[in-house]
Amino acid sequence: MYYKQTIRELMYLGFNSVAIIAIISFFMGAVVALQTVYNTENPLYPKYLVGLGTRDSMILEFSSSVAALILAGKVGSSIASEIGTMRVTEQIDALEIMGVNSASYLILPKLIATVLFNPFLTLISIIVGIFGGYLASTVFGTMTPEDFIYGIQYAFIPFYITYSLVKTLVFAFIITTVSAFQGYYVSGGSLEVGRASTKAVVFSCLLILLFNVIITQLMLS
Amino acid sequence: MIRVKNLYKSFDGRTVLDNISVEFESGKTNLIIGQSGSGKTVLLKCIVGLHEIDKGEIWYEDVLFNKLNFTDKKEIRKEMGMLFQGSALFDSLTVEQNVRFPLDMFTEKTYEEKTDRVNFCLNRVNILNSNNLFPSELSGGMRKRVAIARAISLNPKYLFCDEPNSGLDPITAILIDALIKELTEEYSMTTIVNTHDMNSVMENGEKILFISDGVKCWEGNKNEILNSDCEKLNDFVFANSLAKKLRSLR
Repeated sequence: MYYKQTIRELMYLGFNSVAIIAIISFFMGAVVALQTVYNTENPLYPKYLVGLGTRDSMILEFSSSVAALILAGKVGSSIASEIGTMRVTEQIDALEIMGVNSASYLILPKLIATVLFNPFLTLISIIVGIFGGYLASTVFGTMTPEDFIYGIQYAFIPFYITYSLVKTLVFAFIITTVSAFQGYYVSGGSLEVGRASTKAVVFSCLLILLFNVIITQLMLS
Repeated sequence: MIRVKNLYKSFDGRTVLDNISVEFESGKTNLIIGQSGSGKTVLLKCIVGLHEIDKGEIWYEDVLFNKLNFTDKKEIRKEMGMLFQGSALFDSLTVEQNVRFPLDMFTEKTYEEKTDRVNFCLNRVNILNSNNLFPSELSGGMRKRVAIARAISLNPKYLFCDEPNSGLDPITAILIDALIKELTEEYSMTTIVNTHDMNSVMENGEKILFISDGVKCWEGNKNEILNSDCEKLNDFVFANSLAKKLRSLR
């Protein structure tokens, strides 16, 4: 049952987030590249800085932190409202009566699903974001594709990917546990479920921002 | 048999159940009746262990249930079935998956054996050709019946029903009551039903506990309820004008 539930959550919380992450990443990558193009028109700055800037922005911050904030909104509110609704409609009580450990049955598969799948979302975001930057800077900007590609290869530090994935794992844990907690301890009716959903997003975002600072200090100092 | 001894329960310093003692008999439909807010649901939830009690004892046969740890409680819970007020079917599962759920969790049966059991339970509650429907596609009465099918799928020794006919029309309510009574007799279960529906009381009340403001006021059966001296019970039983007229004619 746990296996089936985990697969279901992988589909629901993971695969269903691919499109939104890809779309946002594409446009963010494009905007970052264009901003860099238009703000580094000084001939002293080499053109490849646009590729480098886009790559590092995506890897270091956008694909892990900003994507996590987006997922806190999408996945976090979904988890809190699903579990909260189950609480107020006595579905969790029904699980307890059957002798099922409801917290474990409901939360563990979601946690496994997000911790397993969110790193892939981060990688997808990095790739799509850089591709968005490439298209925008070469189509609208004044760059050659060679300059951009040289930029994304220049001074590449593989540890940044590790750093980004570590952040993603921590953020996935935060989003799932905070949202599940808010949903699991709801009492009342639909109004409280809505409030729990809002709280889940707000607390998840705050914790993501806080842990972003902590992890950055720990890993990059 | 389930015995409750000197049970106390309070929330935030407000006493909700005050020294309740009662014995629920096997093979009978035991009713807990009382006004809304009298503590019926809290009592039922204390009995099944969904609420921790402040003081007192809850015995399932010779086992002191409220002192058991989670693992031991789980063993007794496998023998329980519960019908909730809102049915509490799992929204994301179909009718068949809902009834199959306890079988998947707690039995080693093959897929075919489980399917047979699911179909048997659904047939028993007269739900036909609805295996692939979701709870949102069912009427209130059907949802209750599917919830009963799920509750009996593991052949429970104890069946708990929290206001099984709330929100149903009188005819469907009577059908649900009759079904609960039939199943109780068929499987010799100890059934406890929370209700404030007098039709249920007069049809099924083999053993009745009346509570008011969290205090046990009266205990008896459907034959004794109309001749009680308990003023609060009489106010409850003869609440509507028709009942009052009938009482004055007696």
